Amino acid sequence: MSVKFAMLGILAEKNLHGYELKSSFDEKVGEFWSLNYGQIYSTLDRLEKEDLVTHDRQAQDRRPDKKIYSITGKGRTELEEWLSTPVHKVRALRDEFFIKLVFMDRKDPGPILDLIEKQKAHYLKQMNRLTNRKVSLKKRPEHADSLTAELLMDAGLFHAEADIKWLTLCASKIKATMGENT
Amino acid sequence: MIEIRNAGKKYLQGAREVHALRNVSLRIKSGEFLSIMGPSGSGKSTLLNLIGGLDQPTSGEIFMDGRPLHGISDDELTLIRRRRVGFIFQFFNLLPILTAVENVCLPLLLEGIPFTRIKPKAVLLLEQMGLGERTEHRPEQLSGGEMQRVAIARALITEPAVLLADEPTGNLDSHTSEEIFLLLSNLNEKGQTIVMVTHDSKAAAYGTRVITLKDGALAEDVSLGGAPS
Ligand SMILES: Nc1ncnc2c1ncn2[C@@H]1O[C@H](COP(=O)(O)OP(=O)(O)OP(=O)(O)O)[C@@H](O)[C@H]1O
Ligand SMILES: [Mg+2]
Repeated sequence: MSVKFAMLGILAEKNLHGYELKSSFDEKVGEFWSLNYGQIYSTLDRLEKEDLVTHDRQAQDRRPDKKIYSITGKGRTELEEWLSTPVHKVRALRDEFFIKLVFMDRKDPGPILDLIEKQKAHYLKQMNRLTNRKVSLKKRPEHADSLTAELLMDAGLFHAEADIKWLTLCASKIKATMGENT
Repeated sequence: MIEIRNAGKKYLQGAREVHALRNVSLRIKSGEFLSIMGPSGSGKSTLLNLIGGLDQPTSGEIFMDGRPLHGISDDELTLIRRRRVGFIFQFFNLLPILTAVENVCLPLLLEGIPFTRIKPKAVLLLEQMGLGERTEHRPEQLSGGEMQRVAIARALITEPAVLLADEPTGNLDSHTSEEIFLLLSNLNEKGQTIVMVTHDSKAAAYGTRVITLKDGALAEDVSLGGAPS
C-alpha cells in the first residue's frame, strides 16, 4: 500500500529521523492523507523488518539516541518498481454515500434528495478551499514542492468534480423514477 | 448592487409558452464572484442576460445600483449595458478584421471616443492579460485562450460594475481554462464583481457563491468560504 511507498520515496531523497519524516509527509501529501506519529513509526518498523529501510543511531545530550532512517538498496529497487507500475484498482469512491443510497426510502425521495444537495454543497466548499490554496501557491512558485502539491490538489479537484456530476445525475434519475414530490 | 425581485421570463415557441425563468429573487453584492450552475435549458443564460440588460424580464423587477433595468426604454438599457456591464462569451465574439488592441477598444470606439485616446489603456489591459506581445495580432493569429483573454480585456475597458461570463471556457482545455479562471479570480480579488455561468464545478470553486437553477427556478444557493489569502 501507498503509505509505505510514500515513506520510501521521501527517504530516497534524504535520510531523516521520524519527526522530519512526518513533516515531509505532511508537506507533500498531508492535504489528502493524515498520519500520526504512531503510524509513522509502525510503518518504519515494518519497513525495517522487510529490509527496505535501516537506521543509524545519533547520540544526543541527555536524551535518548536519535534514529536516522535511510533507504536500503532493496528499498530503492522496490520503490522504482512501484513507481513504474500503473494503478489497477479503481478508487473506492463514494462508498459511504453509496450505502446510504442503498437504504434510502423508496417511497419518499425527499430525504435522499436533500442529502444529495448537502453532499454537493460540501464538495463545493471543499473544492473552494483547495482552489484558494492553489491560487495562493501560484503566488509563490519558488517553493520547491509547489508543482507536486498543485498536481495533487488538481487530482482532488477533478475527483470532487466527478462526484458532483455523479450526485447531480443521481438526483435527476431519482426524481425521474420516483416522481416529483419535492 | 444587483437586485432581482420575482423575475420571470416567458418565451413563445410557436404556439407554446416556455417559462425560461420563474419567480427568481436574488441579491448580488458588490465584490461577489457568483457562479450560476444548472442543467441545460434551466435558464442560466436567460438570467445572465437579464442581469446584463441584454434582455428584459416579462415579470418582476431588476435593479442595478438602485436603478431599475425593467420597464425602461431600449436606449436607456443600451447605455447601462455599455457603461456598467462587461460581457465575455464562450465563443469570444471578437471581430475578425480587427487587431487585438482594436477589439479591446471597440466598446469605447462605438461611443465615439477616438482610438488614440483609448489605445494606451487597451494596451495596458492586454499587458495585464499577459498579451503585451500580441496587441497587433488578429483573432485568427491567436489561440483560443489568447482570444478569450482579449475578450476579457475588451470587457474591462469600460471599467464595468459587473463582469458577466457565459461559459467562458466552454471551448478551452483544462490548463488553458485554469489560466482564465486565475485571471478572473485575480480581478475579483481586486474588487471586480463577477457573475459567471458554468457547467464546471472546478470553475465555480474559484468564486465566492454558487447558485443552481432548475427548470427556471432558483434551487440552491451555496456560499463558499473566503477568497484566496
Ligand atoms: N430567444 C428565445 N426564444 C425562445 N425560447 C428561448 C429563447 N431563449 C431561451 N429560450 C428557452 O428558454 C429556456 C432556457 O434557456 P437558456 O438559454 O437560458 O438555458 P441555459 O440554462 O443557458 O442552457 P445551456 O446550458 O444549454 O446554455 C430553454 O427552454 C430555451 O429553449
Ligand atoms: Mg446557456
